[in-house]
Amino acid sequence: MHIQTDRSNVLVLGAGGAGLRAAIAARESGADVVVVGKRGRRDAHTVIAAGGINAALGTRDPEDSWEQHFADTFREGYLLSHPRVVEIMAREAPEAVLQLADWGCAFARLPDGRLDQRYFGAHTYRRTCYAGDETGREIIRTLADWAEAAGVRFADRHYASSLLVADGRCFGAFVFDLHTAERTAFLADATIVCTGGHTSLWHRNTSRADENWGEGMSLALRAGCRLMDMEFVQFHPTGLVAPEDVAGTLVTEAVRGEGGRLFNSRGERFMERYDPARMELSTRDRVALANYTEILAGRGGPNGGVFLDISHRGSDYIREKLPRMYKQLLAFQGLDISKDPMEVAPTAHYSMGGIAVEPETHATDLERLFAAGECASGLHGANRLGGNSLVDILVFGRRAGAAAAGLREARPVDPPPGVIEAASADLDGLAKPGKGSGREIRRRLRELMWEKAGVVRDEVRLSAGLGELKELRSSFEEAGPEGNDRLALARTLDLRAGLETAEATFRAALVRAETRGCHNRSDHPGLDQTLVANSYVRRAPDGSLEVETRPVPPIPQGLRTWAVTELVEETSEHLLE
Amino acid sequence: MKPEPWWDEFTIEAEPTDRLLDALHYVKWYKDGTLALRRSCAHGICGSDAMLINGRNALACKVLVKEVAPKVTVEPIRGLPVLKDLIVDMEPFFEGYKAILPFLINADDPPDRERLQSPEDRARFDDTTKCILCAACTTSCPIFWGDEQYIGPAAIVNAHRFIFDSRDQGAEERLEILSDQSGVFRCRTTFNCTEACPRGIKVTKAIQEVKRAVMFRRF
Repeated sequence: MHIQTDRSNVLVLGAGGAGLRAAIAARESGADVVVVGKRGRRDAHTVIAAGGINAALGTRDPEDSWEQHFADTFREGYLLSHPRVVEIMAREAPEAVLQLADWGCAFARLPDGRLDQRYFGAHTYRRTCYAGDETGREIIRTLADWAEAAGVRFADRHYASSLLVADGRCFGAFVFDLHTAERTAFLADATIVCTGGHTSLWHRNTSRADENWGEGMSLALRAGCRLMDMEFVQFHPTGLVAPEDVAGTLVTEAVRGEGGRLFNSRGERFMERYDPARMELSTRDRVALANYTEILAGRGGPNGGVFLDISHRGSDYIREKLPRMYKQLLAFQGLDISKDPMEVAPTAHYSMGGIAVEPETHATDLERLFAAGECASGLHGANRLGGNSLVDILVFGRRAGAAAAGLREARPVDPPPGVIEAASADLDGLAKPGKGSGREIRRRLRELMWEKAGVVRDEVRLSAGLGELKELRSSFEEAGPEGNDRLALARTLDLRAGLETAEATFRAALVRAETRGCHNRSDHPGLDQTLVANSYVRRAPDGSLEVETRPVPPIPQGLRTWAVTELVEETSEHLLE
Repeated sequence: MKPEPWWDEFTIEAEPTDRLLDALHYVKWYKDGTLALRRSCAHGICGSDAMLINGRNALACKVLVKEVAPKVTVEPIRGLPVLKDLIVDMEPFFEGYKAILPFLINADDPPDRERLQSPEDRARFDDTTKCILCAACTTSCPIFWGDEQYIGPAAIVNAHRFIFDSRDQGAEERLEILSDQSGVFRCRTTFNCTEACPRGIKVTKAIQEVKRAVMFRRF
């Protein structure tokens, strides 16, 4: 098959917020940049982000500071965040957000003309900027327009099937066109992976069907990079439970930020029993576990959820602050949230773990390969605060893009012979007909992750899950492509990535024999003070995955007074099952 | 050589509360795997599944089966080259969008902290920030069907979003582009665009405001 070649200084995989911000930074540093995305541009997953983006601007609360943003993030990550990554994020967030506003992003304003800020869970002060509840859409649009104006090239609806690796460095990626199936070797002096998380692996999740399968994490793992903290998957407390085809769809935290209250079927405002001080604005892991526990104890509603009520705020307020939620619920369920409560349950939402990166530039273990955004790791520790991921993509997208542009060569360096051909042969292998359907494997994988690696875990189920996963992986080896249309190969690659990142999650979850943040082990309900360490998964030459743990790096000198160093053990009486 | 277009008919069962997109997925999964359509987020904000549904442009993820049952006709949106089945080439549409310089233009030195904007000034263009570039308006416009040079309602809506942003200084430049013969005065105020917009943007009103801005250079 004919293989085309594209040459650039910087190749960005993924056209979401991180990828676009990286592309702009690389372009501004003088690089020729191409962005490869599996969807149309302006339609990457960032478009769905709702509630807001954090920066310690102190607009509403002048007492706020970037140090306090650091302290909140580090504490609520249960001491597993890389301190330097958190420091960089908190320090650079204000500039990143103001710059975006200056590029035209239409954030909400205060009467004096400054950016408005609202509360998000577990932040000490109001520091979340927003554009209604469509903040992500406004951000991605601003970035896409800016990138186009800056002369970034785009390959929309293209899929990267492998990284081109030889001599200990990355030479770019092997890519095919989802419409025409044409194959292209995208050769670049540096490559940045910005491909999102792996939460589509769970039965109920907040992703669209064809995204967040751990695609980039798997590419990096296969290229020899390590993945970090893969056991930490954030279950958002409030996903829709009905109708079934939209089950899992996110109900934004902004509903609670604007005063929404949670009730069980007995009408009890149950957060009083889980976190009486912060109530509904507690951290996501705590609220998710509370919802899960209430439902499991039989205090849920008719569709197996608890009730989230914002109706006391009144129709006008809700339509102004939460326009999308208002319209969505009306469309999906005929439900008017200004009158009646929503029924909600936990849903897989965000991968805190991902490709292991160096804090300053987000360089990976492989030379000339970077990672930014949800597919990377280090910022969120064991629990992510709402609003921190949108600022993550801006701050580290920019840093990775600038660093990648710095590696551009005067003359292009080609990979050694055979590398491109091997990548093409890999695709041929996946396209061969086989036994059984990928769709069935995908369905079973999602059930498996939901039941065996879900909100609450234990060793018995994790081990059993790993066993079942092995069966699924061998069925996958025998199966042919999923369907006969032009997207079949993409689905097969998604599934391969999903099976691999699922295994990484199981293995890391088994090693972490404690309950910390979003990782609830009912057989180890307490925090293990000695496990202030990150898990790393590496792929051995025979394809098996190995795990090791390493202590979290030290807190930078000047920030020691801001960082908690010990977590108070919390009561685990709510951890049923 | 492209084959002549043809119609296919499928009979399926669906719940009244299913969305039309679900019905199309059902056809794709169980009846005809070759059916090509751009899929949406099912959240009504990505704008990828605009199509001509019973003769009117809409997003398939926002139309319920009960609104169109028992029989529904689905076609690709008009005025753009059809690639396959329900998929059209959006490139000409985005050319028009790019032509109006859809980014904030301000040559002043950046302020020490931030460019201020009052809530009233922010509200001035709020309606037109809601555009999701689904092309439902532009491809429902009879002028656009007849003349693909016409820049189209979506591009004007997005020009409006910047022309009336108090922080922007590019209005003159955009108005120059829009006063061109393929620009805003091709609009004959048929209101198709406003009816078609799945976001409820007052498209015709925005176009009228841009026309006035071109004539009086006031914005």
